[in-house]
Formats: sequence, C-alpha cells, structure tokens
Amino acid sequence: MEDSVSIVGRVLRASTTGFDCGTRSNRIDDRHNFGAFVRVPISDDGSAYAIGLIYAIRIDDDPLARELVMATNIDQATLMDQRDNRMVPVEICALNVGYIYNGMMFHSLPPRPPLSLSEVVLCHAGEVYDFTQRCDYFRLVLQASEVPSDELIAAALRYASYAYPENERYQFLVRCGRTLANLLANDLKRLSHVLTLIRPDG
Amino acid sequence: MTSTNGVENLEHWFPRETRRGASVYSAEEGMRLGVVVGGSLSKGLVVKLDPQQTIEDLAVGRYVVVRGENKRFFCMITDIALDSPNPAIQSDPPEIVNDPFLRDVYIGTAAYGKLYAAPMLAIDDAEDAPRPVKTIPGHFMPVLNASVEDVNAVFGREDATHFNVGAPLELEETQINLDLKRLVERSIGVFGKSGTGKSFLTRMLLAGIIARGQAVNLIFDMHNDYGWEVTDERGPRAKGLKQLFPTKVSIITLDPESARRRNVRPDFEVKLGYDEIEPEDIAMLRETMGLSDAMIDAAYTLSKHWGKQWVRRLIEITAEDIEEIEAKTPTRAGTLAALQRRLQRFERWEFLVPESTGDTVQQILTKLDNGTSVVLEFGRYGNSLEAYILVANYLTRRIHEKYVERVEKALGDEALEPPQLLITIEEAHKFLDPRIASQTIFGIIARELRKYKVTLLVVDQRPSGIDEEVMSQIGTRVTALLDNERDINAVLSGISGAAGLREVLARLDTKQQAIIMGHAVPMPVVVKTRTYDEAFYAAVTENNLKPDTIKQARQRLGNSGDRRIR
Repeated sequence: MEDSVSIVGRVLRASTTGFDCGTRSNRIDDRHNFGAFVRVPISDDGSAYAIGLIYAIRIDDDPLARELVMATNIDQATLMDQRDNRMVPVEICALNVGYIYNGMMFHSLPPRPPLSLSEVVLCHAGEVYDFTQRCDYFRLVLQASEVPSDELIAAALRYASYAYPENERYQFLVRCGRTLANLLANDLKRLSHVLTLIRPDG
Repeated sequence: MTSTNGVENLEHWFPRETRRGASVYSAEEGMRLGVVVGGSLSKGLVVKLDPQQTIEDLAVGRYVVVRGENKRFFCMITDIALDSPNPAIQSDPPEIVNDPFLRDVYIGTAAYGKLYAAPMLAIDDAEDAPRPVKTIPGHFMPVLNASVEDVNAVFGREDATHFNVGAPLELEETQINLDLKRLVERSIGVFGKSGTGKSFLTRMLLAGIIARGQAVNLIFDMHNDYGWEVTDERGPRAKGLKQLFPTKVSIITLDPESARRRNVRPDFEVKLGYDEIEPEDIAMLRETMGLSDAMIDAAYTLSKHWGKQWVRRLIEITAEDIEEIEAKTPTRAGTLAALQRRLQRFERWEFLVPESTGDTVQQILTKLDNGTSVVLEFGRYGNSLEAYILVANYLTRRIHEKYVERVEKALGDEALEPPQLLITIEEAHKFLDPRIASQTIFGIIARELRKYKVTLLVVDQRPSGIDEEVMSQIGTRVTALLDNERDINAVLSGISGAAGLREVLARLDTKQQAIIMGHAVPMPVVVKTRTYDEAFYAAVTENNLKPDTIKQARQRLGNSGDRRIR
C-alpha cells in the first residue's frame, strides 16, 4: 500500500498509451498538477509500473450539479456537500511516457496497461530525478495526439526541475532545451514557444 | 537506460556523483572538439563541433587528431563554417545576446559550428609509425586537438638530420623538425609575398643545413641578406651565416666597396671574363634586358663567328665589322646596334674583365669541396637584375658542368662523389620563366633532381611565374603568406589535398608563419617559425663550437676525403 499522501487516484480506464484515474473532488490538490509525474503498478507483484504525465484534469457534470448551477439562493452547506460527496469522480488523465520493470527504467510505452482501480501515486523526487536523466520520453510527449503536447512537456520539465538541487536546475533545463532543439529543429516557431515556457525565471 | 533496485532504491544503484557528467571521453574532454559527421578522403572530413567549443578559438592550419577504431588520423583544419539543420533560422534568429539560456540551448543544436579537416597521415595503433592516409575514420569518431605527444609522434625529435624550424600553431611547447637529408635531396622553394620574411626563413633553413652539415651551399645573395649581419625589420641586427659559422661559410663579393662599407671581409673578389659569356647567358636576360628573338639569334651568330671575344667585339663594334656580319650572316645592322646598346651596360659592371682567369669557379669549387658554403654578395649590383641573372647563370653553369663531370667519373662510388650542393637563387621566376626554363641551367638542375648532387633553393614572391614543370620538381615548399590567386595555385599544384590548404595559405600571418609541405615533412604543416635571435644562434652553433676538419666535413657530406677528383 502506497503512502496515502501521494495517492492521486484509482484507475478508471487505461490503455498502453495512457490511463485515466478518478478521485473524490475534495481530494484535488497539488498532487494533481498538470505535468506531474505519476506511476501505477502494471503487475501484481510490484515489479512493473507505468510512468505517466498528468495532461488533463476533468470534472464532469451530473444532473444535480446541473440543477444546482441553475438554482438561486443555495445554501453554502448544500454546495459544499454536493462538491465533497458527489458520486461523479474527478478524472485525471495521464499519458504514458515510460515504465519501470524489474528495477529498470524505460522511456517507452509500457508492455501492458494498468488494471482498473490500481492505485495511481505521485512519483517522488528521486524517481523524477532518475527518470529525467535522459530525455528519450520527449518524443512520446511531442507526438502524442489529443494532448497539448507543447504545454505538457514544458509543464513536466518545470515540474521535474524541482526534483533537482538548485545548482543543477539550470543545467537540467539547458540539457532538456537542447534535446528539444534537436527534436523541433524543423519547427522553429514551436521550439521557440516551448523554450519560452521552460526558460528559468521566465 | 537507468536502473533501480526496487523503485525506492535508485540512489543505491546510481549514486548521483558518478552518474552526472560521465563521458566516454572524460579523459580527453578538454581536448575534444567534436565528431566526424561526413566527408571524403579527397575533399576532407566534416566535423560537427561540440557545443562547448568556441568557434572563435579555432584557426585554419591547426592540427587535429581523429581517434578512429584502430588508427589515429592527423588532419589539418582547412575551413571553419557555421551551419544549422534548418535554414529558416536565418530569417528569424533567436535573440541570444541577452538571454544566456537561449544561447546555451541553441548553440550546438539548432545552430552549430563545423570544421573541415584534411586528413594527412594515419598512425596505426599496432605499428605506431605515421603513414600516408589512404582511408578516413568512420562516422562520429571523436576529433581532438593534437597534443604534444601527437605532434612528436609525427615529426620526431631534433637530431643529427632533423632541424627544429618552429612550432605548429597553438602548440608552441612542441616543435616541427624538418628532415634536412630529405630537404636537400630535392629542390626547395621558399615563397611568399614581399615582406613576409622569406629571407629570414631562407637564412634559418640554410643555418640548419650548414649546422647539420647536410649540404654545402652556394648562395647568390642579391641583397646582402645571408652572409654578414642584416638589419632586422623588427629591431636589432641579425647575424648572418658567416657570423654563425665562421669556419663553414665563406663570403665572396662582386662589389668590394660595398663589403668594406659594411665591415665585411670577403675571402675574395669575383671577376668574370667577357670571353666566357656565352649566348645562353645572354638568352637568360631576354626579359630583363628587353632582348628580341632576333637579338638572341644574333648573339649565337656572333659567338660562332667571332669566338670567345664576341661580347667585347660587339661592344666595340666597328663599321667594318657590321658590314662583314651583314655580308656573311643573315643578321641585320639594326639588330646588331640594338644588341650592342644593351650589352654596353656590361661596361658599367666592374666585375667583368676582358679575360677570365678561370680562378673564380675553381676557387668556389675548392671551398665547396672543403665543406665550406659560399655566399656571393652582389653589393650594389644587387639592384641590377641583369647582373644578378648573368652572374648566377654564369657561375652555376660552370659549377654544374664540373659536378656532372665528377659525378659521372665517380660512377656511383660515393667516396668519389662531390658533396651535395644546394644553390640558392632569389627572384627565381626570372631564371625559371616557362619561356626559358627548358634551356637554362636552373631549369635543368631543377628537373634532373639529385642525379648530379646539385639542387636548388629558389626564393621567390611570384611562384606563378615559375615554369610548371620546374615547380612540380620542387620537393619541399616553404610558403609564407601569398594572396594572389595564381601564386597560390602555383604553389599548391601537385600537392594532395591542395583545395583545403588554399584557405590556410591565404590566411597566414604576415610574419613568422609559413606552411611547409612536401618531401621534408611527413605532412603539410603550418609553423610559427623560430625567432631568429640569440637562442637560435646558440641552438645552431652549440654542436659547432669545434670546427670540423676538412676530412670530417667531407665524410659527412658523402665524400670520404681520401680521394679527390679534379
């Protein structure tokens, strides 16, 4: 069982390219940031995990929410009750960018998706640090469809940079920027936009 | 691939200290410039520079080493370029001047430096001896700055036959050693436009050759640059060869007055006889004296008609003589008059005497035989190109004749052969012009190579004026800055990988830099030449304090000293 502090949610649906997990709306906090690194077991024995980047947080409606939106003079306690105890989960969507298998980290799609209700947790700083030593996952992000890939890679890098000691942070961002420059050499406007997003102090 | 022992224990498996900054070339990181990304043997290698390299620190002419799988390739940087994978960046360049992050990201990725390197030599790891390059390193092999060890592996160390002429660019702690034995085996060319230090280069080479006893020299010293001290443009007076090697160098002069003024004590004064001037000597002056074909034909006719005294008689020609010549030969009076007017200039030259004593050539030969190099100073006649050409041609032809005679008599017996002779001439294009090179003695010497143990050291600022065939026979070319396209082409003709050297040649410094290429060096090399100063004097004279005996000198020059052929 993972430390409950770092639990993001439980898997609702999944495929090899990504997974969606759900949680109670009252648990939404800075564990669910856009661009955060999460992991989820893809085997029962704990030897394999998929690693994903949160690229969307979706809050769906339901009939009661629709009615309450339309209503006037609603009691504050009712609103809070509806928000905290509603039966529709907040959905967090993650894009698979790698996996851990028998202790090895791979920057490619996991061999199989996580099963439903598997516990999705936030990667801790050490894992993020180790996973981001190489930049091979960039291509998975940049080529992902239906994902705001430029914003996602920028948010992920900004997120990962905090896993680095302060004196290494600039070099980390430069290294990632250089990889992006190689990958996006044919699309200089896009490159320029992403670099603007990850520029330190920017 | 990174690894964990269980997700929680990454630090155990990959301690951060060792994981960061590790490089397969860590030992060589400081010297690594980039990687080979393309190229060919004929056109040279293309190297993509590493991002941390500052392109401004590179320079054409510098050595780099490519570490291949089994070989080290020695290359010379021939060009430096800026490139980008996407040309669109030129129309919308990023603003990097005030943004160090963008600069660090863009430089080396979306915009990078490239250098072109001409492979020159390869050292097989198993053999450890440099060989001419016949292949190229594979893709992505690391390119490093050449180290002192690399340069030493190629150019060896200074010894009895190797002479330190300077240091390669940016590697001043090492030295380039010329193989003097090979240098004097074939003709040598020292080229460079005016004011680039040709005379200093030549004097340095001659000092090396004399110090190591690899050849005796006959130097036609047009501007009194070699024998006694000369004024260095940069300051103090520089020592001449006679001052460096008092017992191995002899100064002779055409102009004793000039010698006296400069406090030079020549060994003897050169006198040439009118009776020994031959039509071939006059033909050499075609361009400098403005002689027509008809005049040269007339010279041959007069020589045939009047014999040895033809020059003297022409200068003092009478009306009867003209009538006689007109009657007996197809030569016209107008031609004779024109030729006479030109040859009357000879009367102003005091070194010309009516009859040759025959001593001058013999005296020079005796000195050469004794291992003494001879510097012939022209004094005030140095400003007269006609006098220079006439004298150089006159003496060289006769000395060469004697050499041919003696070498043929020796029949391959080294003991009987005369010492290797190196003749230095300046303004060489006047002697080796394509129109006359096939007939002149200098053309002949240049072409026949070492067969008769005479080679040339030609000093010139217009190599394009030298006959192509002669140029192709020049074994070692020492070239200071040249900027005329035709001169550059002439110097590089017949040099493999010449296209790459073109840029190097046109961008040499105006002082103390030269490319040496050809027979005496394993690969073309740009040198910052040694400073001609007290340290140089000490270095060339240190083994020279005890003068050789005549016998020792002759033995070293290829003559046992036991027998002498006259």
